[in-house]
Amino acid sequence: MSQAASGSAAPCGDPLGARHPPARSALVSVWLAAAVTLGAILTATQVAATPGDDPDPAYQRPGLLDVAGLPVVAPHISPDLPALGRRLVLFAVREDKVAGLCNALPGPLDGLDDLDIAVASDASAIDGCPAEVTTVADAAGLVAAYGFHDPLGDVALTGYAVVDSAGRTRYRTLDPEVDDLLDEVATIVQAAP
Amino acid sequence: MTAERSVLVALRACLWCLVFVAVEVGLYLSYRGHDARFHWSTHFLIGASTALVVMAIVAWRRKQPVPAPLLWLLATHLFAMFPDFVFTAGEVHRRWMDVFLGHVSTHFVPGRNWTWYAVFLVTLAAYLVTVDRVTRRHPA
Repeated sequence: MSQAASGSAAPCGDPLGARHPPARSALVSVWLAAAVTLGAILTATQVAATPGDDPDPAYQRPGLLDVAGLPVVAPHISPDLPALGRRLVLFAVREDKVAGLCNALPGPLDGLDDLDIAVASDASAIDGCPAEVTTVADAAGLVAAYGFHDPLGDVALTGYAVVDSAGRTRYRTLDPEVDDLLDEVATIVQAAP
Repeated sequence: MTAERSVLVALRACLWCLVFVAVEVGLYLSYRGHDARFHWSTHFLIGASTALVVMAIVAWRRKQPVPAPLLWLLATHLFAMFPDFVFTAGEVHRRWMDVFLGHVSTHFVPGRNWTWYAVFLVTLAAYLVTVDRVTRRHPA
């Protein structure tokens, strides 16, 4: 029997689906190729994490409410917020991300009913946010109070929390690219009544 | 099998390989950011592992390898990641979405994706051993 007829040496031979006995070396090659390729993808994905990312990617943008000990009663960020009967999105933002986020807001959040938006940062000035956005200077306190993972330990993070109209924190995630993913924030807010 | 038929079979396998690789690369790139690609990896590994187990059982019972095996992997991957399509359309994940091969809870296993990587390698080995045995015992 020729090698081609054996199903192991034809161009682009398919040992996974071969009807004739493939060479065992071909089967081992398939296994090794899959192991190396997928191992490289997993490693590359892990290496691509920045210091502002959650060390555990399972808890970053899970897309699911009430993860990791939530819901809990949301701490107040001001005497008026969160307000009962209204939802709140609290953005905790690194100094270099404030301008980008403020320029992007309210974006897809515009028009959502009963929603307050707040931006907290330790930036020297929180400029450029729309008038309807509440700005808060005490980011460190809020990051701790809301229980954000703080991988750098210096509040140099960007993320957000969503509070429902009953005053409970339902969602909390780090998200360094949140200014580019406000449509996703809107999806989460719409799920938190 | 004639040499011509062998080449046709191989070319058809090539085509399925190209379709599989092109679709998977497209899906990978559609997940924005490394944190999202963590999700691609989970669902691919779960989907592929499930497919390989089913393929091994089918191959053992039919006494021959399954046709177009990469399409089985692609189909189960798409099934496992289906809630992500729904999310893109504006619906958050819910616990019941675990019916899609554990779409929600599989992200939280100890070891995360490295655990599923190990499971995938074991199931791939199991399928390859099955292919080896059935093709040697029951050559076409």
